[in-house]
Amino acid sequence: MSDKIICRCEEVLLSEIVEAMKTGAQTEKELKLKTRAGMGICQGRTCRPLLEQIISFYTNKKIPQASNLTFSIPVRPLSLSALAHTGKDYKNEN
Amino acid sequence: MKYDLVVIGAGPAGMSAAIKAASHGATVAIVDENPAAGGKLLGQLYKEPKTGWWIGREVAKSLEEKVKRLGIDYFPENEVWAIFPQWKVLLNHGEELHTDYILLATGAAEKAIPVPGWTIPGVMSIGAAQVLNNFHRVNPGKRIAIIGIDALSLTVANELKLSGAQVIGIYLPPPDDFLDRISNPQQMIAYLSSLADAAPNHFLKFAGKVTQNEFIQKVSAAFYPYRGMKIWGIPLFLRKSILEIEGDKQAEQIKIAKISRDGLPEMESVKTIQVDCVCISGGLYPLSELASAAGCEFAYINELGGHIPLHSQEMETTQTGIFVAGNITGIEGAKIAMAQGELAGTVVSDRLGLLKSGTAIIKKAQARVEKARENALIKFQPDIEKGRELAVQFWDERT
Amino acid sequence: MRIKKHPILGKLEEKEINITFNGREFAALEGESIAAALLANHIRILSYTEKRQEPRGIYCGIGHCYECRVTVDGERSVRACITTVKDGMRIESQGESPK
Ligand SMILES: Cc1cc2nc3c(=O)[nH]c(=O)nc-3n(C[C@H](O)[C@H](O)[C@H](O)COP(=O)(O)OP(=O)(O)OC[C@H]3O[C@@H](n4cnc5c(N)ncnc54)[C@H](O)[C@@H]3O)c2cc1C
Ligand code: FES
Repeated sequence: MSDKIICRCEEVLLSEIVEAMKTGAQTEKELKLKTRAGMGICQGRTCRPLLEQIISFYTNKKIPQASNLTFSIPVRPLSLSALAHTGKDYKNEN
Repeated sequence: MKYDLVVIGAGPAGMSAAIKAASHGATVAIVDENPAAGGKLLGQLYKEPKTGWWIGREVAKSLEEKVKRLGIDYFPENEVWAIFPQWKVLLNHGEELHTDYILLATGAAEKAIPVPGWTIPGVMSIGAAQVLNNFHRVNPGKRIAIIGIDALSLTVANELKLSGAQVIGIYLPPPDDFLDRISNPQQMIAYLSSLADAAPNHFLKFAGKVTQNEFIQKVSAAFYPYRGMKIWGIPLFLRKSILEIEGDKQAEQIKIAKISRDGLPEMESVKTIQVDCVCISGGLYPLSELASAAGCEFAYINELGGHIPLHSQEMETTQTGIFVAGNITGIEGAKIAMAQGELAGTVVSDRLGLLKSGTAIIKKAQARVEKARENALIKFQPDIEKGRELAVQFWDERT
Repeated sequence: MRIKKHPILGKLEEKEINITFNGREFAALEGESIAAALLANHIRILSYTEKRQEPRGIYCGIGHCYECRVTVDGERSVRACITTVKDGMRIESQGESPK
């Protein structure tokens, strides 16, 4: 079957994710670092549940009963003007 | 600015909570990134068996009027991008709201179904189609195909048809290793027939009845006709999948295939059909990023739609002063979200010392949530009761 | 694409205003989102992606996916699906289309 995009923001294909998993990535964090899946401007809001399912399927592990989800601040991309406005020094990826 | 309560999300849960607390005398702010108040209410439109048409935008309007009447500070078109201890809520236009109590009522987001070609313009989530169609009054397309069969997609299909668009069919997602749950005809039929008993609208009830009826139930999924069945004029294909969406600058055609009894596409059956819009319905999950960033503890409960912030019967999370209500606690309907919001608003009012016989009033508000659940017609998650039990259990285990 | 008359919701009665998209003028209705106004004018492409220069349009419709980012009166990356049109608004698509 044809390949398909999983992470729309960073344009990461399913095949790239599966490949990254074959070469060692086993967690969401490792996958992110290897492929950038989930690192885009929407901050994983679209692909995160998919990544969880894919990892769970290929590693044969249940989606973790994590007591802490890893979302960090800012939870929304901030424009520079907004940052200037708040006068704070937070890093912004987009 | 200092408030007694800051509510994040002006959906049914958030507005109901704000109204409750303000009516007890609390000073309340409510923030939403959307210019229109109402959250997911805005697109809702269906006929309920007993009470007639449920027009979400009108429900939203009446809540918004109450919010304004009570002098609640409403910040539309403002995103909350951070929450800092004890507690500071930061908005993207620079405002900083200070408070002892926060209510997170950020609702749900949609789960995707990745299909080759699903990034082409014209392919959108079922929720986008619903809002465009019923709130903005623009048809998302003229010839629309839907991927994913569930309460939401069936309801929206009917809404699209009602407004003059042509829905050419509701199809299964492409079979996928990691998504087999929703592309399996057998489970689909079991799910659909479970809808018939308490369907929120005539259309769903009808869909449920069709799959409950005669031969389909008896002879199992293997014999559901490939040509599908029409439900109020909309073809429902329980044994055909959309394998791919094609189009250069926008969606132009879909490739569909028959699905064999073991859930695999029969490649010799592949056909191409013209469309200008494809809607994806993959279900909903609680949108809880702010709870996570604020340090709340979570549990993954599939029956509730995903990761939810652990919370007490009074809707408080593991972070003192941070409350939750609505879909962030699990995917349920609008009326339950409203009852949960009222409960959270009541508890916060009590904490603020605004209630005389707080305990009794809170008990009543809790009972109203239960009542709303009993009367709930729409069921987004098949095992919601089990999910609720697990949520209570996880909370009890930790305290 | 506009649903002028709806069997349940009635007639559309909003006031017409003007916006421009990539320099061309279009009619919009007061109170609607940029994304809805453009779609009503048969415009689906709102941006092009960086890596593959693929066209993108409305996906989630409620501000979650950021696929509908456009430049509005010079401000970049405004979400067309949750930004209301205003008379005289200048909107531009983002990213480069493959030539
Ligand atoms: C597409 C779709 C269709 C649905 N259809 C039905 C239906 O037909 N019937 C039914 O009973 N239920 C339906 N539901 C379920 C629906 O979620 C509930 O009815 C109800 O709207 C949930 O209410 P809520 O207040 O929890 O959240 P929502 O209504 O989702 O409201 C949450 C609000 O929070 C805001 N928000 C989130 N994060 C931030 C942030 N960081 N900063 C600022 N604002 C933020 C959002 O903009 C939104 O307005 C549907 C859900 C979806 C997604
Ligand atoms: S369409 Fe998803 S953010 Fe606008």
